[in-house]
Amino acid sequence: MIVAERKPLGEIVEFIEGFRRVLVIGCGGCATVCLAGGETETKIVGSALRIAARKAGRQQDVLEDCVMRQCEPEFVEAVPGRVRDENIDAVLSLACGVGVNFLAERSGDVPVFPGLNTKFLGATAEPGVWVEMCAGCGNCVLHLTGGICPVARCSKSILNGPCGGSNDGKCEISPDVDCGWELIIRRMERLGTLDRLVEIVDPRDWSSSPHGGPRRVVREDLRQLAAEAEEEKATTA
Amino acid sequence: MDTRAAREAPCLVACPVHTDTRLMVERVLEGHYEEALDLLLEANPFTSVCGRICHHPCEESCRRHKVDAPVGLRQLKRFIVEATGEYRLRRRGPAKRTRKERVAIVGAGPAGLTAAHDLARVGFGVVVFESADEPGGMLGTTIPRYRLPYEVLREDIDDILALGIELRTRCAVGGDIPLTELQRDFRATLLATGLSESRSLGVPGIDSHGVLLALPVLRAVSLGEPPPLGDRVVVIGGGNVAVDVARCARRLGAADVTMTCLEARDEMPAWEWEIEEALEEGVNLATSWGPRAVLSDDGRVTGVELKRCVRVFDDEGNFSPAFDEDQGSSLSADTVVLAIGQAADLTCLRDSSIRIGSRGQLEYDPETMVTSERGVFACGEVSTGPGAAVEAVADGHRAARAIQHFLDTGGLLKQTPREELPTIGDLPDDTIEHIKQRARVEVDRPPGEERVQGFSEVERGFTEAEARAEAQRCLACTTGAFVDEERCAACLTCVRICPFGVAAVAKTASMPEEECQACGLCAAVCPAAAVALKRFGAERIEQDLSRLLAERQKAAPPALIVSYCCLFETTSRKFLEENPEDVQTTGVARVLVPCVGRLSVPDMLAPFEQGADCVSIIACAEGECLYPTAEDRLGARVEEAKRILEEIGLSGERIELWRTQESAEVSWTAFWEISRRKVAGINSAERGEET
Amino acid sequence: MKSGSNLERVLAAGHFAVTAEIGPPMDCNGEVVTEKARLLRGYADAFNITDCQTAVVRMSSIASAVLVMREGLEPIAQMTCRDRNRIAIQADILGAAALGVRNCLCIAGDHQSFGAAGKLKGHPGAKNVYDVDSIQLVAILKGLRDEGRQQGGDEIEQTPPLWIGAVWTPMGDPVDFRPWRLAKKVAAGADFIQTQGIYDMELFRQQMKLARDMGLHEKTAILAGIIVPRNLGMLRYMDAAVAGVSVPQELMARMSAARKSAGDDKAQARRNQEEEGTKIAVELIEQARETAGVRGVHIQAIEWERKVPEIVERAGLLPRPTVTPEA
Repeated sequence: MIVAERKPLGEIVEFIEGFRRVLVIGCGGCATVCLAGGETETKIVGSALRIAARKAGRQQDVLEDCVMRQCEPEFVEAVPGRVRDENIDAVLSLACGVGVNFLAERSGDVPVFPGLNTKFLGATAEPGVWVEMCAGCGNCVLHLTGGICPVARCSKSILNGPCGGSNDGKCEISPDVDCGWELIIRRMERLGTLDRLVEIVDPRDWSSSPHGGPRRVVREDLRQLAAEAEEEKATTA
Repeated sequence: MDTRAAREAPCLVACPVHTDTRLMVERVLEGHYEEALDLLLEANPFTSVCGRICHHPCEESCRRHKVDAPVGLRQLKRFIVEATGEYRLRRRGPAKRTRKERVAIVGAGPAGLTAAHDLARVGFGVVVFESADEPGGMLGTTIPRYRLPYEVLREDIDDILALGIELRTRCAVGGDIPLTELQRDFRATLLATGLSESRSLGVPGIDSHGVLLALPVLRAVSLGEPPPLGDRVVVIGGGNVAVDVARCARRLGAADVTMTCLEARDEMPAWEWEIEEALEEGVNLATSWGPRAVLSDDGRVTGVELKRCVRVFDDEGNFSPAFDEDQGSSLSADTVVLAIGQAADLTCLRDSSIRIGSRGQLEYDPETMVTSERGVFACGEVSTGPGAAVEAVADGHRAARAIQHFLDTGGLLKQTPREELPTIGDLPDDTIEHIKQRARVEVDRPPGEERVQGFSEVERGFTEAEARAEAQRCLACTTGAFVDEERCAACLTCVRICPFGVAAVAKTASMPEEECQACGLCAAVCPAAAVALKRFGAERIEQDLSRLLAERQKAAPPALIVSYCCLFETTSRKFLEENPEDVQTTGVARVLVPCVGRLSVPDMLAPFEQGADCVSIIACAEGECLYPTAEDRLGARVEEAKRILEEIGLSGERIELWRTQESAEVSWTAFWEISRRKVAGINSAERGEET
Repeated sequence: MKSGSNLERVLAAGHFAVTAEIGPPMDCNGEVVTEKARLLRGYADAFNITDCQTAVVRMSSIASAVLVMREGLEPIAQMTCRDRNRIAIQADILGAAALGVRNCLCIAGDHQSFGAAGKLKGHPGAKNVYDVDSIQLVAILKGLRDEGRQQGGDEIEQTPPLWIGAVWTPMGDPVDFRPWRLAKKVAAGADFIQTQGIYDMELFRQQMKLARDMGLHEKTAILAGIIVPRNLGMLRYMDAAVAGVSVPQELMARMSAARKSAGDDKAQARRNQEEEGTKIAVELIEQARETAGVRGVHIQAIEWERKVPEIVERAGLLPRPTVTPEA
């Protein structure tokens, strides 16, 4: 899932200070699962913002909503209408950055602010601990590294690791961070494929990663079908 | 949504009248004793009686049984009655007569009066015919006063009669007035005459002077005219009536009282607690003996000759005693009382055409409750055979429904004799492991030798503190968490924190009702707000809060403290009685929660939105929480809420977590005083910062 | 000759090579570099110019290398993968070669988070690059030099004559994989190897044995790293905090005794420790020299460059040989 974390409330208060009516929108997807922006966090943030406004003697209405996922057109369809009908001046999204973007593109001249810091693609290591496991670099090398990603889990994303900074299984940047390459080596040892690491991996093509510019995935077949269906609807109507 | 469980708590299901005992306990905890009484009387007009002598199948089925001991539901019922005397008098009153039809009821025992009660309440005219001087049937005439004081019975009867029921005592149907007259004058007649005759025995010497029957003895005792029993009394029989006779005999001065019965000690049909109390009072038991003959001298009883009973029931469970004639014994006695069973007195049928069966019993259809004559119904022990008081009440309800249906439609309503409801069943073993044990509150009773000095009531009722402590033990079956599947994100948070290992996630989360202990920890942290509680959930807290704070808007006290308090720590209603004016004068708005461990961070923040200066959370005493890990979880949430306040520039000190010391009454006021002072300091410091 | 650098020539002639380290300043004062160069001239065959070591911004390695060359010393320009992508790296390397730099040491570089240490703030919030790793970098340089081809495949006319170096942390974790990683560096084209500082000679010998068994010592010139210990605190820090460095108890005890022997006299304690540290460095050099497959030493006297001449002398490595380029 996408792992995110609530921004400090002080920062959020500054975003919305000047707006009379603010709508806080949570997301029922990843943001809920990582306990950062679901229904309950929406309530907490809404409550905190109202308390802050009250304390500052600011006339401000803070409304709350939570949609299933902020990254699907159908799920956020109703938001622009609500923004218009209820005279919302600003939106605070408690989704990952995707949700903020997605709402921003659909919210006319009303600003959409981020309530979360989007951290990474990761998993729950233990209750209350999430760890990054994928860098979304667009060209998986996991088959080369025993299923453990050097791009996401090595601080230097090196493909011919480990560097000299590996210490007792931990990365040089912190004793709290596992050395990704130590994990890879131990895993491949277990799989009996350690010898594959002798091969030098060439410099990789990063054009599939964010370095290659904003990315998109297009399934032409599906797109075509949807367009045809749309057309049909238009003609019959 | 409808939060009523499809499957009921076992206590409710076990109760013949399906009293919602679970809800009753909840009402006690909340301090709503009057509402609890309403609920009880709705199910059972003989609530006072049942609070004293019910054989409490509710307790037998209580799921706490497997953890330690069942919740003292009967005593709680008695407590409710005793705590609401005045209220009960106020609520008493006539029912509105909306139907012209009248119903005659023969017999003013629990079955007849319950039916009378129900029929009067739906608007019929009801006349009850009772041959005795006073109403109550067996409850009034044969249950000894030390178990059921007559005035207690009268509480129930007076309520019932106050509905506008006409009671004609000393009016024996079949004697003073023929049944056919009732059949003519009333649209329906209900026979509820009970089993008022004692059975006798066919053994040699049974006609000796000094051989008595149990029910006449008990009746005489209750009228205050006991027969002379002598020093040595033998009671033949092992049931509740036998125990009653034996215990009365002790009270009447018999030094040597022995009960003898066919059954072995562990087979005796009397309630176990009755036998225990009899033993405490010095009654002897001679079990597994059958009477061979009554011994007499000059026509006067001198004892009983016994033979060994080797088996009471055959392999099919039918009563079929077998004896070893070679083994004998004897007991000397001045009086022998026969308590071997009851029979119906069917003199009311004299001159009527209602059919009596081959074994002398009333002919009757157990489903429609009708006798051989159209419009004449029967209920209670006369038709069902011997049973407990609450079963008679249940049958009375059933008869009322049958008669109402008959009067509405002219047809007969088929009802199964005993309605079986689905239950959530026993606690799974895995869950039991996690449940904290907590000793049942037992009331002490005077020692046996003191009790036999008179007929005053043996058992005392709960004090309020005892009642509240006992109510706390309720596992609140069926009121646990439930999931809104549309919202659930399957994040597993509930699974990870459930201290009972109950929550599970397949496609969405679920908390199986039969396992959930209703601690509310999952609901407090569900990030999707998809978990709700059937009892006392977030909405309830919200409602309480806005109701209390609505008052506050009018005029502001210097500082407002919202205090979430653990309901379980109260030993009285002092802090439960809600008086919004108190908020004005004391500045403290109390929201009582059954375990503050269920408070979520939004719950902790909400008061500040409404102008609170401080949220003071008062938990139970250290280590006392019923729910494992709840204390730590709550602590962590309090810290989170404090951090949030700090992030928006308010002092985290505005949220406090207290642990009750001793009890609510002892410590809470002091906590609020400390909070009040602290808040004053924080307020002026924060104002200073701004200027 | 691949590069014709002095280091290459010394090694090719079979001499036991000596390299030392010169750390550039955090400002633009070239004099600092020049001073250090003058101090060390003649005491080593080539001098590593660090590239923003520990992720602290310092004068650029290539610029400093040029300053060093002006003083007649031969630099080894260090090049990290942390700060430049493959475009910048190749551009800088070509420029360095044009300026006369003949040795380049390819390293991953300390993570930018290292910059914030002690009194320094560093730039822990910097974005790192790591477009290529150190092994890939070695291969890129080899491609430029031997195939006349940039990493992307474009051909170049004039190829940079570089003696390509890489680093080996023989005792780094996971220790069992370290000889293999050395093999990868050698396979990628490392002409010489400088190791992480060695204190535990026993373990180093074991790792060297594995390297020799793989024949690596014949395909590359391995120079053992010697970090001159200045005091007990430094030894302890290196042991505890520096990846791939472990200090045997015996050395700690020696340093500790040196400090204690001065009693309360702090200045004396410092002098005693410095002397003991120098002695240890000299002994380590001698032990390294006796280790089969080791063809030189790389002396790091961190912010204590002036001590290098004495150490080199006491280790019997003077004078440094002069090997004239082939005609």
